Amino acid sequence: MRRMANESRRSQMLRGVLDLCLLAVVVDEPAYGYEMTRRLRERGLSTVGEGSIYPLLGRLEREGLVATHRQASDGGPPRKYYSASPSGRRALSEGVRAWRDVRGEVDSVLATIEAEVTQ
Amino acid sequence: MSVFVEECRQEWKRLGVPDLLADEMAADLEADLAEAEAEGVPAAEILGESDPRRFAATWAGERGLVPEEPPTPKSRRRFWILLAVGLVLLGFLLGIGGVVAFAKPKVTAVQRGQSVQVFPPAHLVRVPALVGLQLCHAYRIAHSRTFDLGFRINRKTMSGCRGSVVVHQRPSAGALVPRHWPLALRTRQDPVHVPNLVGRSECDAENILNPLGLHVRLGLRPCQHRRIVSQNPKAGQLIQPPHAVTVWLRGAKS
Repeated sequence: MRRMANESRRSQMLRGVLDLCLLAVVVDEPAYGYEMTRRLRERGLSTVGEGSIYPLLGRLEREGLVATHRQASDGGPPRKYYSASPSGRRALSEGVRAWRDVRGEVDSVLATIEAEVTQ
Repeated sequence: MSVFVEECRQEWKRLGVPDLLADEMAADLEADLAEAEAEGVPAAEILGESDPRRFAATWAGERGLVPEEPPTPKSRRRFWILLAVGLVLLGFLLGIGGVVAFAKPKVTAVQRGQSVQVFPPAHLVRVPALVGLQLCHAYRIAHSRTFDLGFRINRKTMSGCRGSVVVHQRPSAGALVPRHWPLALRTRQDPVHVPNLVGRSECDAENILNPLGLHVRLGLRPCQHRRIVSQNPKAGQLIQPPHAVTVWLRGAKS
């Protein structure tokens, strides 16, 4: 029960920044859907919680934050590659700044709680 | 194609996502799932969702492939249709009630115990029961009671209406309506032989086809006096109404 609650909280927290994570993994090099999942995993984000990256990619595409093109993959069918568009790069930059601000503020609040608990 | 992807396809189709985009999304998802499986990554980790319909709807929605206003659910549409019909009927009944209320009754003295037959006011007629009758028979009855059926059946077209049976009528049997009131009949029809329309006028064609559950579609040849020179389907062909018969017209020089 408690584990489920924790997973749900994690999902909710990720939901606000997963778009930034997706932009971050295609800002230097384009990637197709599963390749992005793989890159997220390699950087430590093994599961994205409830939902999937596909709807989010759809939104990023609709909002013009990613550019797409089709390209043959190694031995497989042509895949849809995503890369950060100029507006996507700007959004990523602003989003990372906002995330760091929030993270710092939350950390400063939660750090004291952690100290009380561990005493 | 996996069951999950196939169900996604069905949902996209239901939502009106263009086939080209649905194909693209299905192919991408299929390829990703195959690659994940080859690497031993569970599909759940990729999909994050066990319900394919919800997954497909969310994805298409986020991509902006689903209209902003989803199609009205059937039940809701039915509710509005029923409400509209109800309002029309209410208005109609109120109108009839008003007519009856303001009509001057003819007062006749009767003795206690004497039976009295009540007739509707002279300007009103009672709708006959036509459901279950052959269209020809229903037409004769309705026509004789001054109802407007929106089409005519004459000797030439009589043979065609014998395969049609009235399955619904509006207004219902027993309703009191003014004379010449429009009466809508819905029929169930057997396949009919296409009549020969060549040489006839456009109006003739309408009168011949309509009782058969068929209607005229005009071909593209320019015309002045609209005399039919050819038709498709050809005369004698068996077709299931409702169906259009395309006619080509030629303007005969007068």
